[in-house]
Amino acid sequence: DGVAILPAPQNLSVHSVNMKHLLTWSPVTVPGETVYYSVEYQGEYESLYTSHIWIPSGCCALTAGPECDVTDDITATVPYSLRVRAALGPQTSAWSTLKHPFNRNSTILTPPRMEVTRDGFHLVIELEDLGPHFEFLVAYWRREPGAKEHVKVVRSGGIPEHLETMEPGATYCVKVQTLVKAIGRHSDFSQAECVEVQGEALPL
Amino acid sequence: LRRCQVSVDTRHIEESFQEIKRAIQAKDIFQNVTILSTSEALQSIKPSDVCCMTKNVLAFYVDRVFKDHQEPNPRVLRKISSIANSFLYMQKALQRCQEQKRCHCRQEATNATKIIHDNYDQLEVRSAAVKSLGELDVFLAWIDKNNQETSTA
Repeated sequence: DGVAILPAPQNLSVHSVNMKHLLTWSPVTVPGETVYYSVEYQGEYESLYTSHIWIPSGCCALTAGPECDVTDDITATVPYSLRVRAALGPQTSAWSTLKHPFNRNSTILTPPRMEVTRDGFHLVIELEDLGPHFEFLVAYWRREPGAKEHVKVVRSGGIPEHLETMEPGATYCVKVQTLVKAIGRHSDFSQAECVEVQGEALPL
Repeated sequence: LRRCQVSVDTRHIEESFQEIKRAIQAKDIFQNVTILSTSEALQSIKPSDVCCMTKNVLAFYVDRVFKDHQEPNPRVLRKISSIANSFLYMQKALQRCQEQKRCHCRQEATNATKIIHDNYDQLEVRSAAVKSLGELDVFLAWIDKNNQETSTA
């Protein structure tokens, strides 16, 4: 190991939204030089059974920026310890370890972007593709007093989904929330989006 | 396993295993020997014993196999870590389930588990660990099969 004269990175933290986990830290600056960083991790298994083993991040074994997308390293719903050190040529700093282990079940879940369209009399939605962990609960209803709310689970985003055949002159509304089975949680519902169907309501 | 609400994302575990299967099985020098596949082990388990057997085999991997295997290749190490931590998560969920009296252990499961450990002890520890890692697909397929049966029962 090079002599640890480089300061260790500080202020490690993980920002996690919709199961994307970004590890950030304060950069180590050396005038006129580019400082690189190495990231390593331990899942709960390693910290319990093989605590001497730290695993090089698959994403940032050596990176120049003060951040690392560790999404592909954090693959189980258990606490993960993360550490970073700086490197400049042969010199390396001491390791800095995240103060509190990170568990992906703490990720912030938000509703997906949603596009509600009419295809003739068909109510169609397309949801943002948030990745393999995500399913969506879609609620839709006809806007009228005492309307019944229908619910449908959509298994993945990025594909148009037919919800309902609408009646002329009626207005239909849709809202959606994300579901992530791997962590047993869901987001809040989105704002409702409504579409109106042209034409006169059919006589009863 | 559904009774225990274990959200078993075996698809991701299977993907991780498929990526390292060839590298692991290439190190297995005892091709005509098996640890999991003897007929008296997993294949003999009845539906009522699936939960306990799953917990026992998870413990076998977590407490013995992953510890006994030393992996130099970082890429393979990451996949093994992913599987090990997923197994740890499942194991903890099944332990809670057992504490709530919904994952009963009978002698049949205990006997089948002993056979697996005995098979493991027949080999030198590193060889036994490599062979057990190479047979992860046997265990994952068994979990999938029993998961589907309990959902259609």
